[in-house]
Amino acid sequence: MATTTLAPRAETYRRSWILEWLTTVDHKKIGVMYIVNSFFFFFAAGILALVMRSELAVPGLQFLDERTYNQAFTMHGTIMIFLFVVPVLAGFANYIVPLQLGAPDMAFPRINALSFWLLPVGGLLILSGYLFGGAAAEGWTGYTPLSSAYAPGVGTDLWLIGLILVGTASILGSINFIATIFKMRAPGMTLFRMPIFVWTMLVTMTLILLATPVLTAGLIALFIDRNYGGSFFEPAAGGNPILWQHIFWFFGHPEVYIVILPAMGVVSEVLPVFSRKPLFGYRAFVFATIAIGLLSFSVWAHHMFTTGVVFLPFFSFMTALIAVPTGVKMFNWVATLFRGSISLTTPMLFALGFVSMFLIGGISGVMLAEPPIDFHLQDTYFIVAHLHYVFFGGSVMGVFAATYYWFPKMSGRRLNEGLGKIHFWLMFIGFNLAFFPMHMLGIQGMPRRIADYSPDAGWTLLNIISTVGAFMIAISILPLLVNVVATFINGERVGDDPWEGNTLEWATSSPPPPYNFDKLPPIRSERPVFDIRHKHDREHLTDEARLPAEAGES
Amino acid sequence: MRPLAARFRLWTLIRAGALLSLVLVMSGCLVPPTPETKEAQDTFGLYLLVFVMGAIVFVGVEAWIVYSVIRYRRRDDRLPTQLHGNTFIELIWTAIPTVIVLVLFVVSTMTLGAIDQPSKDPAVTIEVTGFQWQWTFRYLDHDNNPNNDYTVTGTTAQPPVMGLPVGQPIHLILHSADVIHSFFVPHFLIKRDVIPFPAGQSPNTLNFTITNAGTYGGQCAEFCGDLHARMTFSVLAMAPDAFQQWLANAKAGRPPPPTGSAPPGATVVDLSAQNIAFSTSQIEVPAGKPFVIRFNNKDSVGHNVAIFDASGKVVYRGEIFSGPKTVDYQVPALQPGTYHFQCDVHSTVMVGTLVAT
Repeated sequence: MATTTLAPRAETYRRSWILEWLTTVDHKKIGVMYIVNSFFFFFAAGILALVMRSELAVPGLQFLDERTYNQAFTMHGTIMIFLFVVPVLAGFANYIVPLQLGAPDMAFPRINALSFWLLPVGGLLILSGYLFGGAAAEGWTGYTPLSSAYAPGVGTDLWLIGLILVGTASILGSINFIATIFKMRAPGMTLFRMPIFVWTMLVTMTLILLATPVLTAGLIALFIDRNYGGSFFEPAAGGNPILWQHIFWFFGHPEVYIVILPAMGVVSEVLPVFSRKPLFGYRAFVFATIAIGLLSFSVWAHHMFTTGVVFLPFFSFMTALIAVPTGVKMFNWVATLFRGSISLTTPMLFALGFVSMFLIGGISGVMLAEPPIDFHLQDTYFIVAHLHYVFFGGSVMGVFAATYYWFPKMSGRRLNEGLGKIHFWLMFIGFNLAFFPMHMLGIQGMPRRIADYSPDAGWTLLNIISTVGAFMIAISILPLLVNVVATFINGERVGDDPWEGNTLEWATSSPPPPYNFDKLPPIRSERPVFDIRHKHDREHLTDEARLPAEAGES
Repeated sequence: MRPLAARFRLWTLIRAGALLSLVLVMSGCLVPPTPETKEAQDTFGLYLLVFVMGAIVFVGVEAWIVYSVIRYRRRDDRLPTQLHGNTFIELIWTAIPTVIVLVLFVVSTMTLGAIDQPSKDPAVTIEVTGFQWQWTFRYLDHDNNPNNDYTVTGTTAQPPVMGLPVGQPIHLILHSADVIHSFFVPHFLIKRDVIPFPAGQSPNTLNFTITNAGTYGGQCAEFCGDLHARMTFSVLAMAPDAFQQWLANAKAGRPPPPTGSAPPGATVVDLSAQNIAFSTSQIEVPAGKPFVIRFNNKDSVGHNVAIFDASGKVVYRGEIFSGPKTVDYQVPALQPGTYHFQCDVHSTVMVGTLVAT
């Protein structure tokens, strides 16, 4: 009561912190909520993965029946893709992109809040199937007619509605990002001075804008088939179940790049900072990113080689072609390391983990691009291995690189490096134990999405190894959780720019003030903060960055 | 400085060596199952080519990363040369993957042409129907009388067996009764989706020629609902004459031979199979009395025992099973005489004479 009398006016504008977070339109708070929300879904889907790996460790059904198992992998896939990897990277982008552009906020702060709040609602709807007779159990790809005429449960409808909401959130968010990137850049920040992370987000958001409406339309069509007697995908009524696969993968393949490009952006920020060199071939990297974005719309049917109804040479050729810009990026990264001055901090370890593991996913991807090989490997555990080397070895490594790299910016404190390294090595080894044997299982012919296998199949040993690896990944999360809590309580305060970063987010305080910048440095290259730090060692600066010093600017 | 540099070189060597040996050990498990059809042999060759190219790229890039991290570790505060790029090098490394990709595309398209060729005159045509959650195999003959066709429908407890001849082109027509399934035999290195197309669209087909006799497991590869994991079947490939016999028997609706414990007092003949060979080529049994062949299959591949009379007619055929396992075959009473016995799967090498006296 005393405070009321002391500061009556302040009280009018004061809100409890809960209300503040629930109603905020600040891109940084929304970004943090994206990240926290995504990690909750990550843990939920991770527990489902442990359940599956426990069931598969040895032949026979020990813990689950088939239906429960099928629900588990459906929910695992759906949640990991739509509610973890995409939103967590969108969360980092929400926090970092306006800062890297020197902008005070996103272009549409309220739409930004809406696209966040649709996510937990959509995610909980998807999971709520468990309360209403069973969650969806048709796989995250939801192939028709299994998901239409042969899945009577309400769980599948909830899955559809949840995904429609999540898709809508993505579309709103993508428009917001594109507008922000094109209209809110600080003076001096031309397109080719934008940080690579912003470039990858620009291409990602363009892909979301072009691909997600197709999926959302398909989901609505499927909802109509299920509930209102539609027959878009119903063969008995003249519809074609393959149409669903075309729609799903026309979205689904760009989705792969939606998931991997932001992580590539993170890695392309982290590698230069900890090699103390610029990214080798910035422009080539940008063009490679755009090329991947364009090509990603011409390869969807490589998920459908075994359907017998797609023109194999075209899709095979376009798919293999994507290896070219991807290869260029790989060379850019390893050339960035060349003659650098490399510090193996935790974010750097995760970035190197990304490069070395994504490479495996890329190579197995080129193998799968050859139709005869795909005929053998499609829908086996080789696919599961391949997609986890891309999504986990790639995107999730990028997510953790971003977590350790930007945590000091968000909190002013650095996560403990020792615990971070334990986290990295446990996760790196566990990941390879869990997923590398899946290549071998797939090559030997173990199909994916099976709840059980015969003891005579000879798959038991590799499955046991894989399960051990999965639990190791789970254990690796513990040092991360301890680290985050301990750092909040008693973390090392490290100032505004602990890593000697290059980009504008390091030019403001940590955490940044509500409107981000009191004062912006001159932007003369893609590394404005580097240019200020080294304004006296002029041999290290580009010609453009040198000019202001000659003109006597500080 | 010199010993330090030498140490780093040693470390690099050790790490590269460890990596290489790991890759070699693992590549043993990264090769597909023995290809058992003509088409699969082409695919196998393509796989090896792509795999070796991938392995070279993998080792090269990973070794470069490990080398860079060791060699260029930060040792002082001096800023390295700020190298922004090099157009010539970037053009070269755009060209390298382009060439690799083009080569792979050409080779794989050629392989695709070789393996995707339907035979004009298949020896056996089978209509495969996938349903939740098993298969029906219907052997089409040329008499246009469906009642005459042999049809087998599997259950999850008793998966169906698809008998096929070796060395003759096979043609499968793939129908689905409900959702999408996929017909997959790992040893044939191929699968094809079994899709419920709308009326007017022709079903998928699969063509192959088996090269070696044996039992090859298969199962549905496209997720199709609750019991997807139970949609297994097996392909029993045998010499053409054995296949004809097998099919004739199957058509005649001969019930599967009974198994179970031997009746008391019956003669029991021990016979075992190991390394694709019978333990004996000579069996003597009493005539005019049922007897038991206690057949011990020590191989992981399928074997059975079938008995033929002098005119080549089957008088008894035991079920084929994979070992290690022992099954008692209850053979009905035989007339005195000399009989031929064989394993239907390996009818050229696993043969013998049975004398009933």
